[in-house]
Amino acid sequence: MNPERWQRLLDDATAISGVRGAIVVSAEDGLVVHEAAVEGLETSDVAALASVVVRRAESIATASGDSQVRLCTLTAENGTVIAAQGEHGLWLVAVTEPDVELGRLRLMLGVLAPALG
Amino acid sequence: MSDHSSPQQSPSFLDLGERLRQRGQLEAALSVAQAGATRYPTFAAVHDLIGRILADQGDDEGARSAWLATLECDATHPGALKGLAFLAFRRRDFGDAERYLEAAAAASPRDTSILTALDRVRSMRPANAPEAINIEDPVAGLLLLDNQGLRLAGGLGSGQDEQMADAAAATAAGAAREAERAARLLGLGAWQHLMIEGDSMRTALLPVAPQAMLLLRRPPTAPVGRLLAFASRAVQAARTWLGNS
Repeated sequence: MNPERWQRLLDDATAISGVRGAIVVSAEDGLVVHEAAVEGLETSDVAALASVVVRRAESIATASGDSQVRLCTLTAENGTVIAAQGEHGLWLVAVTEPDVELGRLRLMLGVLAPALG
Repeated sequence: MSDHSSPQQSPSFLDLGERLRQRGQLEAALSVAQAGATRYPTFAAVHDLIGRILADQGDDEGARSAWLATLECDATHPGALKGLAFLAFRRRDFGDAERYLEAAAAASPRDTSILTALDRVRSMRPANAPEAINIEDPVAGLLLLDNQGLRLAGGLGSGQDEQMADAAAATAAGAAREAERAARLLGLGAWQHLMIEGDSMRTALLPVAPQAMLLLRRPPTAPVGRLLAFASRAVQAARTWLGNS
């Protein structure tokens, strides 16, 4: 658990054009662990809602006989919430504008999230 | 009490049946294999052998049934998935062939023969030929459900039975409600899809109508962009299906 390292990870994620902000979330209780550059968003809301969606996604995977969820992406007309699984129940969550470089972001989060622990 | 539905070791009848098949003595091979299936009805390998024998005999429908029986015993049996891909290829259904090979590749990622076959099937498909959409096919990996979590049509794909499809539908409806709520409360507008990615599968959940949604399931080798493009077409097909039902 290293807040300085989390900050560097979040800075990398928010450096991508179209990313409004990024937070480290404890998925089990939906709490914000660390945050960066979240414009116009209540980070506590993002954490709570993202963790609920992640848990629901995990339920679908379990019911379908699939392995654990690594990446969960909720796309809506005005933006995207993308969550990547890290260690110790932590998830790296980013909220984006609709025109974000999603391909680059999902790859980056997939690489960064395992380093959360 | 011992369980006789599946043998502890690879039984001799399996080797004998395979040798007879390779020698072209297909009737004898089938007789041996069917006797084995009677004794060990949940032994995947014997159903796979029956599938190969029937395919050699040109009985594609029988082979398909045998390979589906194989997947009921072992949902990720690569031989059965390759066999079903072969049958699809033989009837020039390259989309279906690709789907089965993708599932086989996910089950056996180091089997280069599967990856080679996958490349070949992809190259055979005309550049603009879209993958066929059959909402009612339980092995197509398209599951249509209502907003109460009840399955309307389709299934989770090869090797996943109706009970699993019902369980997935029951959980997917709740996930759709939370996705809608999260998007709305975060000011992101209407939700368009929820993509779930794991080591063994990629799954997309999409709204189809106020009372229905679609769950699309593909192997992890399926490119995300193509999966979403297909999902968009599948939603249109699902709306048509709902209109006709």
